[in-house]
Amino acid sequence: MKQSYVRDPLGEAKPMYNAYNEAMADLFKKNDKIVLLYGDFPRGAAGEMATKEYPDRVYDVGIAEANLITVAAGLAAGGKIPFTHCHGIFAVGRAYNQIRQNVAFDKFNVKMMLLNTGMLWAFMGGSHQTIEEITALRVIPNLVLFSPADPVETKKIAQAALDHVGPVAIRIANPAVPTIYQDNFPFEVGKAVTVTEGKDATIIATGISVADALKAHDLLAKEKINVRLLDMHTLKPLDEAAIIKAAKDTGAIVTVEDTSILGGLGGAVAEVIAENYLAPVKRVGIKDRFGQSGTIDELKEVYEISASHIAAAVKAVIKRKKK
Amino acid sequence: MVYQAELLNDLQNKAKTIRRESIRMIKAAGLGWVGGSFSQADIVTALVFHHMKHNPKDPKWADRDRLIVSKAHCCETVYAALGEAGYFSKAEFDKYGKLGAILQAHTERTAPGVEYSGGSLGQGLSFALGEALSARIGAPKDINGRPIPRFRVFCILGDGECNEGQVWEAVMAAAHYKVDNLVAIVDHNKYQSGGKIVDRIDWTPVAPKFAAFNWDTVEVDGHDFNQILGVLERADKTPGKPHAIIANTIKCKGVPSLENKNVHFCAITDEIYQDAMKALA
Repeated sequence: MKQSYVRDPLGEAKPMYNAYNEAMADLFKKNDKIVLLYGDFPRGAAGEMATKEYPDRVYDVGIAEANLITVAAGLAAGGKIPFTHCHGIFAVGRAYNQIRQNVAFDKFNVKMMLLNTGMLWAFMGGSHQTIEEITALRVIPNLVLFSPADPVETKKIAQAALDHVGPVAIRIANPAVPTIYQDNFPFEVGKAVTVTEGKDATIIATGISVADALKAHDLLAKEKINVRLLDMHTLKPLDEAAIIKAAKDTGAIVTVEDTSILGGLGGAVAEVIAENYLAPVKRVGIKDRFGQSGTIDELKEVYEISASHIAAAVKAVIKRKKK
Repeated sequence: MVYQAELLNDLQNKAKTIRRESIRMIKAAGLGWVGGSFSQADIVTALVFHHMKHNPKDPKWADRDRLIVSKAHCCETVYAALGEAGYFSKAEFDKYGKLGAILQAHTERTAPGVEYSGGSLGQGLSFALGEALSARIGAPKDINGRPIPRFRVFCILGDGECNEGQVWEAVMAAAHYKVDNLVAIVDHNKYQSGGKIVDRIDWTPVAPKFAAFNWDTVEVDGHDFNQILGVLERADKTPGKPHAIIANTIKCKGVPSLENKNVHFCAITDEIYQDAMKALA
């Protein structure tokens, strides 16, 4: 059962980076502390506007992600609110120590955009497809980690990132994603959004995978299997209460993500379930493999994260439910 | 440039004081970084007690000059200088490196006056660059259209530390953006943890590397206050480029029995203590 704030049919598809730029153009003009930093990354509409109209609040440090993140920490120490922009894999892979030591350690007010992140980046191949960012970042104290599911939620998260005083990382996948939410949907930091209500099992999804999970919900509904779908847009702090409630109410959990299930959303949910209320869990996501070139549809198929894979996981986990 | 003998004498005495306090601190803690902490001591003294604009009674004053000690293990002489300047009680010296202390084994912003939490080498210059940019954004401009920065940022780098690639990422970016309120001071004591610089990765001579990246670069004796003050003042009068000061120094300077030996991290024995206190009296 879809909630009233879920579009049916789904709305226009567009890249979440575009939605972020629409939000940022507005935020940037209203808050003169915001500084945009790029690591040789396309600036988008907000960045282009800022470059023209506010040149001393835009810097590109070149292909140097370590410097990008630490310069941002220094700007924050000087009272600014820097937003950094680079590919997710290079933020996490090349500047992990900088995120940990220079940003999170002292709780600096830095907002890090992890762009083109996750497995679902067509063509680019395994060097550019991130499988580790949720696992790697959720163990860093003081950090807030967001993972929006659609363009509307991306805008809410841009605002939430600015409102939160402290370090924030935001996962943004490359492909256009359909608009799931009405503008008035209930968004609260650290609280999962209930996308659909159902009693047979719960799907907990994040980021670009929420739309596929919603498709899986539709496939299952045709077979009279009713699932609750939670959009876990805040990965840290994790909405443990919603996970425990899902286990109690529906007795079976499937997690879905476009990154590694090892320590990712799947790992995080399994930790909460194991310590609080036992229910069978099945993790849909990247199973300890690197990526490769291909179309989005091909990648979803090969890495077993498509709507049909999610639906099959739900059926499998329901079979393991306590009678 | 020649500075008044009285000023130079005062600074020499301050430098002796912070070296003595550092020896006591390290002896009480059991271990410490005598080598790099003592080679930079005169530079730290010149900055904290003369050149920098700051106020120990208002450590978070927005327009204060910043001191970023990128080689943050060299913390003892920094703590001694900040304590001596009045940022915190000197009673904290005795707790250095102990559980719950504000004076951690690598500089951390938990201590008033400390601007940078280091320990992972090669990152401080990027942090200093970010701070320096923040001082330029929205600042009034001079008749040539250049921003008049609200404050200056001084970053002390180790010569061994410059093995880290991120140092050079920051060097390139600072030059590109002509960040002339940024002063990098390389404490060129010729040693790193594992031995002599030239026996590890020999990247000497140091100065031409910064100059090649379009930094305003000068070389000084890092234990001669007249020279140190001169190049710091010169940096203020040389617009349009970030400034590199290559300070030729002596590891463990001030403790005769340890000078020019690779004493990176050590305990202070009674013999070393006596030798140091005699030399620093």
